[in-house]
Amino acid sequence: MEFIGDIWNLIAMQPMINTLIVLTNALFNNFGVAIIVLTLVVNGVMFPLTMKQVRASKAMQDLQPKIAELQKKYAKEKDKLAKEQMRLFKESGVSPAGCLLPLVIQMPIWIALFQSIMRVLAVIPENLVGLSNFLYSWPIVYTTLPLENHFLWLNLATGDIFLALLVGGTMWVQQKMVMTPATDPGKQSQSSMMLWMMPIMFAWLTMTFPSGLAIFWVTSNVFRIGMQYFIGGWGGLVKSGTKKPAGRDKKYKERIAKVEEFPKLDDFPEGDADIVVPSSTQEEGSSYDESGDKRPDGGGGYTKSLRAARRQPRKGRSHRRKRG
Amino acid sequence: MRIRNNTVVVGKVSLLVVLLLVGLTVLGCIGTKTSPEGGSGGVVADGTLFLAPSVKQAGGFGCTSPAVDSKLVALSAANGTRFWEVPLEGSSSGGGFGCSQSTAPAAIYGSPAVAGDLVYVGGYNGKIYAINIASGAVRWVYPREGTLEPIIGGVIVALDRVYFGGADGKVYALDADTGDKQWEVPLGDKIWATPAVSGETLYIGCFDKKLYAFNAVDGTKQWEYLAEGAIVSTPLVYNDTVYIGSFDRNFYALDAASGRLKWQFPAEKWFWTKAVAYNGTIYAGCFDGKVYALGAENGQEIAAFDLESPIYSWPVLVDGRVIVATEKGEIYAIDTASNQETLLADIEDAVYAPLCAGDGVIYIYSQEQNLYALNVDSGANLWNLTIK
Repeated sequence: MEFIGDIWNLIAMQPMINTLIVLTNALFNNFGVAIIVLTLVVNGVMFPLTMKQVRASKAMQDLQPKIAELQKKYAKEKDKLAKEQMRLFKESGVSPAGCLLPLVIQMPIWIALFQSIMRVLAVIPENLVGLSNFLYSWPIVYTTLPLENHFLWLNLATGDIFLALLVGGTMWVQQKMVMTPATDPGKQSQSSMMLWMMPIMFAWLTMTFPSGLAIFWVTSNVFRIGMQYFIGGWGGLVKSGTKKPAGRDKKYKERIAKVEEFPKLDDFPEGDADIVVPSSTQEEGSSYDESGDKRPDGGGGYTKSLRAARRQPRKGRSHRRKRG
Repeated sequence: MRIRNNTVVVGKVSLLVVLLLVGLTVLGCIGTKTSPEGGSGGVVADGTLFLAPSVKQAGGFGCTSPAVDSKLVALSAANGTRFWEVPLEGSSSGGGFGCSQSTAPAAIYGSPAVAGDLVYVGGYNGKIYAINIASGAVRWVYPREGTLEPIIGGVIVALDRVYFGGADGKVYALDADTGDKQWEVPLGDKIWATPAVSGETLYIGCFDKKLYAFNAVDGTKQWEYLAEGAIVSTPLVYNDTVYIGSFDRNFYALDAASGRLKWQFPAEKWFWTKAVAYNGTIYAGCFDGKVYALGAENGQEIAAFDLESPIYSWPVLVDGRVIVATEKGEIYAIDTASNQETLLADIEDAVYAPLCAGDGVIYIYSQEQNLYALNVDSGANLWNLTIK
């Protein structure tokens, strides 16, 4: 356990803490600005991963009706359900891991940033003493510490009511943007509760945490609001605020639409998994982009069966491979 | 159907985010404390040991909620029998969910100081207490109403005054009998250091990287010296020279009258503790785990005792031997004649509080709230107590 802690400190905590200190020095010994800059930098570095996660989550969300359909159909056949779900994911190009993996990768970085801010604040001797174990031997680090805890009107080591409201407000906006309005009154109240619960909870938390952390939360929220706008416009924040889907989202949607265009599962005889056959063996190991150009097989390409479906107009059962 | 599913997905995602952030909260708080615990070293006077134990945090979700009250206890130096204890109240009952509190517990870091029939102590709650050493009755409290910013350094008593520095960046001088303020001087940043007085001059280090010298009677500044890092250690005045370590990893020797730099010695990490001097040699403990023996006149390294664990606690000088405690809890005796270190005892308990000694006994208060009385010659454990 101690070994894991040492590794964690070596690869996550020490770089983050020393970066924060050096940034503070570079930014005129302003720790508040350093928190904002580092949060933005970390968000920027993780931007591709975050985008991937958000898009995958949206695609998964769009696929829900098909999944529900399968669940209904194969309610009593778990194996069959799993198989069909896997096939659906494969054909639509949506990976369940795509939602979680980026999150799993990002989590340690967020935890490191969070812990670093807590440690660098070092408002009591115990923390300052502990901080010394994380420092590189760079002279700049030693001459910069201890950091100035005041930023604007804030004491970064204590809670602040205005920042608490700001954290709650930005979190509400962010949630509202991704939330889809429900027509069912029961579900509507559930959505509404979720919409308010988190911002209130975090506003309260902010009151009891050092406001240095609140700056980190507000900055992250604002960044994510911007990112969410980039992906889906204002979303649920305004009634007609939906933005035209960006290229990658469009791809997902088109794939899902293709899957939806497929003959219904009821149309197929049981066990008939191979719907179509590639037109030639030359297609092995290659895939097509939307313009129809061939490119090396890689992430994001259509599956073989989808490719075939795309190139062959639907003609009902006559296009299924005859067996025997 | 689609709307229902969307709502469910959003609900699940929200729940996931809540769990993630609560996880962040818990993990983020691990290893970090934002509630002061304190825990002073002791001081022995007339067979009585005065000590302010640390205030350990109570358990809680995520972070911990702090205890807010501390106390000063008077014990028999011979066997640890408790004579009295005085509760020192925090400024209010803060704490709760989260990692910080808006109130100031009465954690005490600086060792008490004894003069006449009073023992003086300053707390994180921003108050100075003067307490009768015989009865434990509080004679006066400063300020009488309200509080100052946290007081982390210790107090010293000289020239019938009590001197201390506060996190508000001010140096204070109070009348030792009445607690009336005699003077205060604002400095450039927070003060965590304990001052030192020699003759009529007061020396104190500050977060603004400066060591200051003031006239201890009226607070007039005599000189200041700018180091490259913050100063939280206590100056040692020896043979007209002020010795002080800094966060810039240097140990400085300054002329006591003018503040002129005589020499400086580079180490590998911070200097936090006060140095001790004996027979022309300065012994300075460092966070790099070493005690440096330096020539008082020229700063030449005579020896470096590698104790392999950071040294936070103030050492004590007993009969020509420097007694040092490491963070790991190993107690060493450095023989100043032979410059050899000997492991006196291993209490296996972290030590941050200053050591104190009296009548051949060393008193060590550990982070686990244990008070050890060790024989200074043999290192034998005479008695130990848990003091909370």
